[in-house]
Amino acid sequence: MPNKIYITGLGIISAIGGNVEESLHALLESRTGVGKISILKTALSETHPAAEVKKTNKELVSLTNLPENKFYSRTMLLGLIAARQALTAARIEKLNEARTGFISATSVGGMDRTEVFYESFSKDNSRGHLHDIITHDCGESTEAIAAQLGINDFVDTISTACSSSANAIMLGAKMIKHGLLDRVIAGGTDALSKFTLNGFNSLMILDRQPCQPFDDKRRGLNMGEGAGYIVLESDKNPGFDQKEIFGELSGYANTNDAYHQTASSPDARGAIMAMTQAMEMAKLSPSQIDYINAHGTGTPNNDLTEETAINNIFGERIPPFSSTKAFTGHTLAAAGGIEAVISLLAMKHGFIFPNLRYETKMKEFEFSPVTELRKQMKLSHVLSNSFGFGGNNSSLLFSKA
Amino acid sequence: MEELIAKLKNEIIAQLNLEDKTPGDIQTDAPLFGDGLGLDSIDALELIVLLEKNYGLKLDKPEDGKTVFHSVRSMAEFIQSRKK
Repeated sequence: MPNKIYITGLGIISAIGGNVEESLHALLESRTGVGKISILKTALSETHPAAEVKKTNKELVSLTNLPENKFYSRTMLLGLIAARQALTAARIEKLNEARTGFISATSVGGMDRTEVFYESFSKDNSRGHLHDIITHDCGESTEAIAAQLGINDFVDTISTACSSSANAIMLGAKMIKHGLLDRVIAGGTDALSKFTLNGFNSLMILDRQPCQPFDDKRRGLNMGEGAGYIVLESDKNPGFDQKEIFGELSGYANTNDAYHQTASSPDARGAIMAMTQAMEMAKLSPSQIDYINAHGTGTPNNDLTEETAINNIFGERIPPFSSTKAFTGHTLAAAGGIEAVISLLAMKHGFIFPNLRYETKMKEFEFSPVTELRKQMKLSHVLSNSFGFGGNNSSLLFSKA
Repeated sequence: MEELIAKLKNEIIAQLNLEDKTPGDIQTDAPLFGDGLGLDSIDALELIVLLEKNYGLKLDKPEDGKTVFHSVRSMAEFIQSRKK
């Protein structure tokens, strides 16, 4: 059974771009996607910036060649666009030549359609279109994307809050290693919705200004939306030799704080275990990590815990690290997929993308994230962190193949 | 009958949210499902809701659905037969 998992394709859509090329340009030009909400109709649009994909659902449908008069959730549309890119990049044309899985993470699924349904239904319970409500279940977006891609060997949805995509990628890797699948398109998708905006607002962790991850004055996070997928394959697959290899998934771990429903533990136990176990799997020591794409949401709680974990593991030799959420906003279940793509782009091209808007060092520690774009870096091993509510912590470790 | 058919076409467009369709696009005798209008199983539920809401009619036997919802004409015939 294969024990090495390679990444042969990437797909991404977020507020900073509709594909890999556009996203890379935005990252190189320090162009943030955070701004005024204009597509989603919400009472918070004047007060709370977010990283919104500036395309209406209709415009997204036209990018997918789907029939127009059907009902699609925004989560499904974003996911389909990114997943197709990943398949194309991996040069997968014939799905039946190898057992192919689709593992997609989402936290809201078709919540955007549920909100449309609710508006009519709440006034008159014989109103509202049933097509809107059937997209409510998270699994619907995955199944709809898989149906469009033509994947039916294995289809699964993971919903573990903000670590979902990392866990989807992990499950994909495990299934290939256990000989259950030959290749997997794994990642996640989440659309902005009133549900999540209002929910995070109630938790009082939204920043009313563009967020400043790891800054001492950080106030909270900006919501974002998008999708990111990677194609995982073993080198035994047909046509593998002709494929572009973006990297190897050399380690991963998922751990739990068992501390609080939303807050992370102050001693950062779960985060420390996730990063440490990922490195152990790859048989790497902390000194070999060249860059960490941090979870770095911009909330006081997450960023303090994450720096505590980094300090605990790396001590005197803190590797360069940055959060790219100041670019993409926090895309919830899609974050791990989007940041896996960003981490692989960083490794492939030798870039470290800056932690935008960072000004003041956190008073608790003596180190800072990378604030200016670094080029021509030799990055052999890159960690990508995704820490979710429920104390659900995941770290992925990508290595140069 | 023709009046009812015209009315039904407008109601179907509204109920199923077929924004890009006009009553002229729906052929009275063409199948609503599959080849014709291309409706699916959720649309079938919407049509059941339409009959209940607009005409106060319920399908006694679910298996009748296939005949009743074959075309706009069969729906109109069902409504007429129940009116008598």
